[in-house]
Amino acid sequence: MSAIDLVGVRKQFGETQVVRGVDLAVPSGAFLSLLGPSGCGKTTLLRMLAGLETPSEGEIRIDGAVVNAVPPGARDIAMVFQSYALYPQMTVAQNIAYPLRKRGVPKGERAGRVAAVAEMLQLGPLLERKPRQLSGGQQQRVALGRALVREPRIFLLDEPLSNLDATLRSHMRAELIELHRRIGRTMVYVTHDQLEAMTMSTHIAVIDGGVVQQFGTPQQVYRRPVNRMVAGFIGTPAMAFVEGRVGEGGALTLAGTRVATVDAAPGATPVIGIRAEDVRLAEIGVPARVGLVEPIGHETLVRLHCDAGIVTARLPGDTAVQPGEQVHFTADAGRLHLFDPIGGERLTDPYQGNERDHG
Amino acid sequence: MSAGVRKLGWSLLAWALVLLVATPLLWMLSTSFKPENEVFAVPVTLLPEEWTVEYYVLLLTETSFPRYFANSAIVATLTTLVVIALGTLGAYSLVRFRYRGREAIASAVLLSYLLPSVVLIVPLYLMMVKLGLANSLASLVIAYTSFALPYALWLLRSFMAAVPEDLESAAMIDGATRMGAFLDVTLPQALPGIISTALFTFILAWNEYLLALVLVNADEVRPLTTGVMTMLVSGFNIEWSLLMAASVMMSVPLIVILAFLQSYLVRGFGAGAMKG
Ligand SMILES: Nc1ncnc2c1ncn2[C@@H]1O[C@H](COP(=O)(O)OP(=O)(O)OP(=O)(O)O)[C@@H](O)[C@H]1O
Ligand SMILES: [Mg+2]
Repeated sequence: MSAIDLVGVRKQFGETQVVRGVDLAVPSGAFLSLLGPSGCGKTTLLRMLAGLETPSEGEIRIDGAVVNAVPPGARDIAMVFQSYALYPQMTVAQNIAYPLRKRGVPKGERAGRVAAVAEMLQLGPLLERKPRQLSGGQQQRVALGRALVREPRIFLLDEPLSNLDATLRSHMRAELIELHRRIGRTMVYVTHDQLEAMTMSTHIAVIDGGVVQQFGTPQQVYRRPVNRMVAGFIGTPAMAFVEGRVGEGGALTLAGTRVATVDAAPGATPVIGIRAEDVRLAEIGVPARVGLVEPIGHETLVRLHCDAGIVTARLPGDTAVQPGEQVHFTADAGRLHLFDPIGGERLTDPYQGNERDHG
Repeated sequence: MSAGVRKLGWSLLAWALVLLVATPLLWMLSTSFKPENEVFAVPVTLLPEEWTVEYYVLLLTETSFPRYFANSAIVATLTTLVVIALGTLGAYSLVRFRYRGREAIASAVLLSYLLPSVVLIVPLYLMMVKLGLANSLASLVIAYTSFALPYALWLLRSFMAAVPEDLESAAMIDGATRMGAFLDVTLPQALPGIISTALFTFILAWNEYLLALVLVNADEVRPLTTGVMTMLVSGFNIEWSLLMAASVMMSVPLIVILAFLQSYLVRGFGAGAMKG
């Protein structure tokens, strides 16, 4: 059964359409990441789930029951706000205890639960401080603590780790995964960071322009992005897009070199998407000139300029290429992504002979 | 060195200003303790040569001053309570809820504040007569409320707008009702603004003269401002010491309140609970 169902949900503020028809069924116990560029409506979507905004159209169901008219306090959810929204006049301890106090948890039990959360988030020494006496990262942890102190049906987390340093961030990431595994509650997690989304989630929804572009497991979204927007958004370095050309017999060429066979009419010019890790240097292949070379330790990112555009390659760290050098590169046909040059939708997968690789 | 001189200069200027403002008040205080023959004595005495509380006793026992004082206290307190109650909720609605004509209402409020009070006196008086409220403390409370409320709304609106909406949203998710969120989160944040507004309203009601003159003319319901004037003009000769004693007594409540609330006023906002 799904924990959350969104059916044709729309939201507009005055004339501005912010969410333009979202359908989503989030399985119970899922860790769903909402991923998308700034301003695409992630926070708005979360606020509608929380009951802070009413959808202009459509239906929101939690555990099968329509909650459009249910006030936030009665939805049994917890939320971490992008802005933290800590109560300024309360201490850290009072902030974390507030949801318990409002729900009538006895005082003795409150103290114990606050202490447990403070332990997990390393907030112990800060409990008596006011929010304004905390750094950004500390405030963020308090906000997280206020959400984690209860065990609601659903957690809504709006970029809860954005302001933490790298160490604390990976620590918190691990804590969240562990927490999710332990209590098995549904979590909706908003992030800009696609790496975070890939590593933490069971499901990803890529959002752009107020609609869900793709919903699936991290692997599905990574392996088979449904359009150019998703393909470009997921993965670092970003997928390279170059112009391909279909010749006689479905021969797909890239800068004049045949790279795959496709099921398309001659003369078509699909956009070929290539991920950096799928590119290899080879004796025979697409001729290219080496541009920027970025050694990042165990591997080296190399920009390859070919006639059809620029492709980034992720090569082993010991690769010795110099900028300006002429090389040839190739990629498995099964790893190429083809997109419509106008609409950007994914086209049929290329294949070599009978072999098809969907990853 | 030059910094020290500059600082000294500023201090001197500040003290000169303070003196300028304070002298009449100190003079008033001093005069109120002088016996009658000393008030106009030449050479002028800075402090009373002979201290007397005779006029304070007289004021409190022989005149209607206590009555006026009570009236003023009732009117100013009620006005403040009504204005703060209506102003807080009204300002909250103007800031938080989206409805048709919200901006129009906000502008209308400002506009009505800009209207000179003189033009409203006669209509107000006629209305009070129609309502059967003429010559009552209630008429003063209503009139003062109508004058203070627009300003209060405008002031409180900006204070409420400064309270981030996410705070309330968070409280509602945490299980508070909208009213609970308002009380737990918004009100404490807007408290400095509410206190300033309350102070402004109280002072306005306490010092108001013109409306009181028109709306009430019975001794039982006269506030201090018009009351003391009546005392003054009804005698053959003006008892300056008595008047000064009355003035001192009139100022005391305001001074006490100001001293009490000053720490709130300067404390300002609790900043920095939100990102950015
Ligand atoms: N109350 C509002 N009134 C008008 N427009 C709004 C309102 N709230 C959000 N918007 C607009 O809706 C769009 C989506 O906002 P939202 O906050 O959901 O974006 P987001 O995906 O969370 O972005 P970010 O990643 O930067 O947080 C933005 O263009 C924003 O300007
Ligand atoms: Mg956002």
